[in-house]
Amino acid sequence: MSDKTEVWQGTLALMILKTLEAMGPLHGYGIARRIEQTSGNLLVVNYGTIYPALLKLEQEGFIDSEWGMSDNNRKAKYYRLTRAGRKHVEKETQDWEQATAILARFLAPGEEHS
Amino acid sequence: MRRLRAWFLRLGGLFNKEQRDRELAEELESHLQMHIEDNLRAGMPPEEARRRALIRFGGIEQAKELCRDRRSLPWLETLWGDICFGVRMLRKNAGFTAVAVITLALGIGANTALFSVIDAVILRPLPFDSPERLVAVWETSLRLGASRTVLSYLNFVDWKEQNHVFERMAAFHTADFTLTGVEEPANLSGAVVSSDLFPLLRVTPRLGRDFLPTEDNPSTAKGRPVMLSYGLWSRRFGSDPHVIGRAINLDNQPYTIVGVMPQGFQYPIQSKPIELWTTILVDMITTDQSKPITTQRGAHYLGAIARLKPHVSLQQARAELETLANAQAKQYPDTNKYRGATAEPELDRLVGDIRPALLILFRAVGCVLLIACVNVANLLLARATVRQKEIAIRSALGATRGRILRQILTESVLLSLLGGVLALLLTLWGTNGLLAMSPQNLPRLNGVHLSARVFAFTALVSLLTGLLFGVLPAIRVSMSGAAESLNEGGRSATSDSRRHSRLRTTLAAAEMALALVPLVGAGLLMQSFLRLQRVKLGFDPANVLTVNLGLPEARYTAAQQAAFFRQLLPRLQSLRGVRSVSAVYPLPLGDDQISISLEIDGRPVAKSEQPSTNYRTAAPDYFRTMHIPLLRGRDFTERDDEKAPPVIIVNETFARRFFPNEDSLGKRIKPGLATLPTGAVMREIVGVVGDVKHHGLNSESGPEVYEPQNQMPFSELTLVIRGDNDPRSLISALREQVQALDKDLPLFDAKLFEEYLSASVAEPRFNTLLLTIFAAVALALAAVGLYGVMSYSVAQRTHEIGIRMALGAGRWNILRLVIGDGLLIIIFGIAFGLVGAGLATRLMAGLLFGVGSLDLPTFVGVALLLGLVALSACYVPARRATKVDPMVALRYE
Repeated sequence: MSDKTEVWQGTLALMILKTLEAMGPLHGYGIARRIEQTSGNLLVVNYGTIYPALLKLEQEGFIDSEWGMSDNNRKAKYYRLTRAGRKHVEKETQDWEQATAILARFLAPGEEHS
Repeated sequence: MRRLRAWFLRLGGLFNKEQRDRELAEELESHLQMHIEDNLRAGMPPEEARRRALIRFGGIEQAKELCRDRRSLPWLETLWGDICFGVRMLRKNAGFTAVAVITLALGIGANTALFSVIDAVILRPLPFDSPERLVAVWETSLRLGASRTVLSYLNFVDWKEQNHVFERMAAFHTADFTLTGVEEPANLSGAVVSSDLFPLLRVTPRLGRDFLPTEDNPSTAKGRPVMLSYGLWSRRFGSDPHVIGRAINLDNQPYTIVGVMPQGFQYPIQSKPIELWTTILVDMITTDQSKPITTQRGAHYLGAIARLKPHVSLQQARAELETLANAQAKQYPDTNKYRGATAEPELDRLVGDIRPALLILFRAVGCVLLIACVNVANLLLARATVRQKEIAIRSALGATRGRILRQILTESVLLSLLGGVLALLLTLWGTNGLLAMSPQNLPRLNGVHLSARVFAFTALVSLLTGLLFGVLPAIRVSMSGAAESLNEGGRSATSDSRRHSRLRTTLAAAEMALALVPLVGAGLLMQSFLRLQRVKLGFDPANVLTVNLGLPEARYTAAQQAAFFRQLLPRLQSLRGVRSVSAVYPLPLGDDQISISLEIDGRPVAKSEQPSTNYRTAAPDYFRTMHIPLLRGRDFTERDDEKAPPVIIVNETFARRFFPNEDSLGKRIKPGLATLPTGAVMREIVGVVGDVKHHGLNSESGPEVYEPQNQMPFSELTLVIRGDNDPRSLISALREQVQALDKDLPLFDAKLFEEYLSASVAEPRFNTLLLTIFAAVALALAAVGLYGVMSYSVAQRTHEIGIRMALGAGRWNILRLVIGDGLLIIIFGIAFGLVGAGLATRLMAGLLFGVGSLDLPTFVGVALLLGLVALSACYVPARRATKVDPMVALRYE
């Protein structure tokens, strides 16, 4: 159970960072919606879990935040990728790609490596 | 790095909590509102829009809680909560807290005070660059079994030139100098050193230059150089920056100031500061025809220090020195056949002698601290029974065992930290007391203060103490089942509390055992000290005044020195209040001692096999003045001068050792020492005197010879003056008489002989006093601990005692019942304590005098003392038990 959460938290962090990289500064609600859309609604997760993840990323210095106004003139806290965050995304992306490539070899049936 | 940053931010999250909470709430609220708006836009009715948004979000409170945990450090907040609760508990039980804190403060304070001394004296490195590479180099005497003796100059030069292990090597000895021509004449402590010393220590003069290598030899040096200490420079020379190159007079010889050492520099380190340094060339110049001491391979008088080359170990250096010494033994058998060489860390030169005593004292205060721990643990155990219900409720409400353990340990650490703070205050006051009691020769005591290291030590000890005494009660308490305790309804006579009480009595017995160890140690030291005081000195020091007088060799030839004292002594004898007066060198119990080789007429032996003897020169009337009994023959008289036949007086041990079955009077011996140009001659023994403890109270009297001062003049003598009563009133008259003969002589300090005596017992007195104080604290703490356990047990058994009395038990039976319990604790405690003490006292054999480390009377006596004190600690609660009113006790339930 806890292992799963850890994996989930790791991936969630990367999703948040990727979203911010693609969309620019965005508030928590926006990030949650965007992740849901990008996953093609396959990923259904409580929006509330995104906030502790945001806090952690902010403490680690990958993102920072600022109060601003939303499109509908509502006060909201906007998150923005920092320079360290950009580097981190790059590195994490590579790691993930490598990890999934390796896993794919195991998961693909019948195809012995040639 | 990222983690650390996050950690600090979270630490910051402990503060400003409310604003952060508000901001979080606002953020989440805006999230919900945006979601609701989107839902409304999608065409949902308002109720449904809100409901859907809330569901998709998940638990708002959970999200907030997760954020809160993430924002700061939850365990730190819990700790803070525990501390607050602990402080409240301790304040509520002020009596308990006070007793525990004072007990701990005594235990920790004793440790801190002693540690501050150990820190300053033993642990603090020497104030030089890379002090761990500095070694003290010694000769050893295989024949005398001496492991550390000073070097002769020729041996020093050979080792310095031939070794491959030392970067540099330097020699030194201390000497007194008389400074004239700058204000009034002054007697200054100085050191004669080889020019390598300051570069070896890596210290450069504050002003002027180092000694030059050419200044180690009179043939290459331009005059005699002198280096001033900062103190002398500022005191006598007004901190004059142009002092370099100035000529001054020391012992009536011209010296040139070449430099001023930096403030605080001292070498060799001793209690009386060194004020000036000159080079070894002064030892190579003699005013008469005698051979300079630096040319005599058998004249051992130099200390030596060396700096190890990088990557050379102390063991390698020792091996090399041994090889060199062996080669010398073959090359110069006359002087070196029985000489070895060794090295030790330079710090040991200073503290090697005092270290064992301090470490033993440290173990004793360790015992005191352990007793304090056990005491407080017992108090906590007693209280744990009271708190059982509180704990049960907590665990019923879901507190885990670890959580409760942490809560209780937090409280004990709080207690011990409070004790630590109080201990620091005690130490502040206690170290002053320690310093006041400490012997003058304890080196580096001026450095004793509450340093950062002492603070760290106190903090660490307090923390460990808290964990140590807290952990047992904590485990006990957290182990007791919740349901059990709640069901009991506070009834005390349960299996659980019996378990507690067994633990408590075991702890009390352990305390007895722990207290016995320092008590036995103190008992042994006291025995030694008493025996030391009863030692027969061989002379009577009461009402004897001593005055050191040095005649400058530049102005006085040996014959003139003799003449000066021949003139002075009758003048002093005629003063009112002087009973008798004489002079001697070296003074008994003084710092200087002379040992020389000896030839006996008619018993020729190889030079290397010659026996040795202690040596003194004495003026007429010396034995009468000192009350040293003349056993046979006669005293020296004025007629024993350089024209008369050479004579000598020996002590009883000498006569017995060298002439066992014959009369020593009339025999002829030749001590290998001469100050007159005629050289050493055969001398006839004209008298035998009683033995004197020359080297200190705990030394053996060896063979000893006295030569008449008129036939063996010394430039430095100590006047001994026996007055009718307190001779201090004579000092000014004495000075007048000395000045009348030579007004350029500096005014020396006069000292009562008894001051030498008390200095020689200062260290044993210090050790005895300290260990006795620590043992007394241990005894008191153990007694209080036993009293606490017994009182508590009586209180617990009130009901039972009531029943017994109702059934007809008399007061005597009750008294016996309670005291019997106590007696069991005492007997077990003492039995284990005696075993422990037997093991521990072996370590202190070196500190004892005239008493074995397993001295039976001491062991028995101390055990009885402890037993009696412990019994009286039991008696008070036992008496209380007999006062129990059966009716009240029975109704109580």
